Amino acid sequence: MTSTLVETEDRREYRATRRRGLAVDLSMTLATVLAALAVGFLVILATGKDPVAAYEALLTGPLERSFRVGRWLEDATTLTLLGLSVAIPFRARQISLGAESQLYAGALAAAVVAIFLPLPPVAAVIVPLVAAAAAGAGMGFVPGSMKARLGANEIVATLMLNAIVVRVYDYLVNGPLKEPGSSAVYSERVQPDSVLTPLTDWFGIPLGRSNVGLVLMLLTAAALWLLITRTPLGYRIRMTGANSDFAEYGGIRVPRAIEWSFVIGGAVAGLAGAHLVQGVYGRLEPGLAGSLAFEGIVVALLARNNPLVVVIAGLFYSYLRAGGDIMEQQTDVGTEIVVVIQAVIVLLVTAQALPDLLKRRIARKQAAHKQVGAR
Amino acid sequence: MSSGFDVVLSSAFLAAALRVSTPYLLAAFGGLVAERAGISNIALEGQMLAAACTGALVAGYSGSVALGALSGITVATLLGLLLAALRLELGADAIIAGIGLNLLASGATAYAVYTLLGDKGGTSGLDSGTLPTVPLPGIESIPVLGDVLSGQNLITWLAFLTAPFVAWLFYRTTFGFHLRAVGEMPDAAASVGIPVRRVQYAGLALSGALAGLAGVFLSMGYVSFFVRDMTAGRGFIALAAVFLGGLRPWGVFLAALGFGAAEALAVQLGTLDVPPQLVSTIPYAMTLVALALYAWRRKRRGVGQVAPASL
Repeated sequence: MTSTLVETEDRREYRATRRRGLAVDLSMTLATVLAALAVGFLVILATGKDPVAAYEALLTGPLERSFRVGRWLEDATTLTLLGLSVAIPFRARQISLGAESQLYAGALAAAVVAIFLPLPPVAAVIVPLVAAAAAGAGMGFVPGSMKARLGANEIVATLMLNAIVVRVYDYLVNGPLKEPGSSAVYSERVQPDSVLTPLTDWFGIPLGRSNVGLVLMLLTAAALWLLITRTPLGYRIRMTGANSDFAEYGGIRVPRAIEWSFVIGGAVAGLAGAHLVQGVYGRLEPGLAGSLAFEGIVVALLARNNPLVVVIAGLFYSYLRAGGDIMEQQTDVGTEIVVVIQAVIVLLVTAQALPDLLKRRIARKQAAHKQVGAR
Repeated sequence: MSSGFDVVLSSAFLAAALRVSTPYLLAAFGGLVAERAGISNIALEGQMLAAACTGALVAGYSGSVALGALSGITVATLLGLLLAALRLELGADAIIAGIGLNLLASGATAYAVYTLLGDKGGTSGLDSGTLPTVPLPGIESIPVLGDVLSGQNLITWLAFLTAPFVAWLFYRTTFGFHLRAVGEMPDAAASVGIPVRRVQYAGLALSGALAGLAGVFLSMGYVSFFVRDMTAGRGFIALAAVFLGGLRPWGVFLAALGFGAAEALAVQLGTLDVPPQLVSTIPYAMTLVALALYAWRRKRRGVGQVAPASL
């Protein structure tokens, strides 16, 4: 079957448009990051510090020693998993802020299994991971079904769940799960068989607390990309996010798609909790996740909710976080400047009129160019 | 459980409940005004934090508590206007822009404190003082009532006056009518000549100012210094109170008061055998249930009563 000339023309034009869109997206992301770094530079300058020395430490520091690389990769694993966990509901246009509750639920489930349940070697790693994913998924199901079935506001529901789970976690770490006879607030260590193998064992160079969770994270990202782009469920989630009325009209059960997006996101956040317990700390500690849960949102936003890009964004972000700590040690510039840079990125990314304005201008210029050519 | 009742009825608990409720009340009213104006202000947390930090720093360096409080409120108001500008001028998603502003406040306050004082934790090294308390001569000597009401901070009184003020503003003034019209249906409001954008800017400025007052109370009333991330999620709880209160002034008042009382109770019960963390989950669990019931009822009726803004 040969296509007509008009068809090939059309297709070529379509592809060119897509390529242009992608190029604009990529350059916009790059421009956003550079603009945010510039803002940070100016702030450091304005507060009377040396921005060049600070940025040198920030941008080259994490690669200078192997254990710093390990610190970066370990942080990136957790952060990327959290970014992925937010990106899926975001794809269905659901603002889930519940990664924190899902992470802590996952951490608790993984810890309870890995500390108290005697299991044969390989199962000892896998079963806690599965338990964590299930606990996270359950924690995602609550606000998901409230939103899908009742129309309850998912932002408030997830925020309330965060408040509840964080307090219950705090209680359990300080009470029933505290290591007996210890004055410090920790749980017992997980059984040796449940530990995610450190990358140091694989490569023979000191890589800190980074572990095979990194590989697990990469596999998760690939699986989620396949799910979103290549499966019917992913299609339903995407259509729900693009236009839920149209999706409903086309026969998609929108509430189901919304529910699934929360459950899948929750499972991934649960895995992030398991990574902290089985890989990074080896036990439960108070305030395990810090501010990571909210920073996962930033990563998802920067990657425009594309699972593969989330990996790159997560690695980039953690690099800044790791670099910020080194910058603070080597210069007198506080690591908090990294948070400011992150905030500027979020604000620039969400200012949607900016890229659209630019795209429209490019399109107009091209149209004008074509008219001139036709003449 | 007699000891539990003793705690609830003690004047120390009641006084603490008023004190703890203060930031919740102010921030919740800030959230309410923004929500009814049609732009969700999830940046309450950041606005409080920025105000708390600015207030303590300015008061500490200038020696004037009033100037500190005023600059704190100004900064929070500007953040409210910035959120409105991002939403209205640049088409930003209000929720995501709010998250960005929260991050900005968290990073910028910590950076400022570290740069100025070289302290990671906060401004406890800086003598910034607190806003005045209000003694009530006459009532002071009445046994329980005096202990509860007298000696509360000025801002606590302001917080409790905010409820009638916002109710008056919403239902008795032209501005309030415009604000509600804009939030419910901006196109309809615009068609009858209401300046939609200007009303939304004004609403968000007021929202920021109220959150700022809440923040100033934290660093210049509750305690006398700024601590890093000292808002500790209060802005989000206030936002929940907005929804739990059904987007109505007196409903929000009761919800915010409930959150404050529950937190004070959790602190007071710390002396008993009940784990305080578990007690403090009660208001959040209640909110979750109320949220579900509210949505369920609305669904059965088929139409919403008050449309939650841009969510």
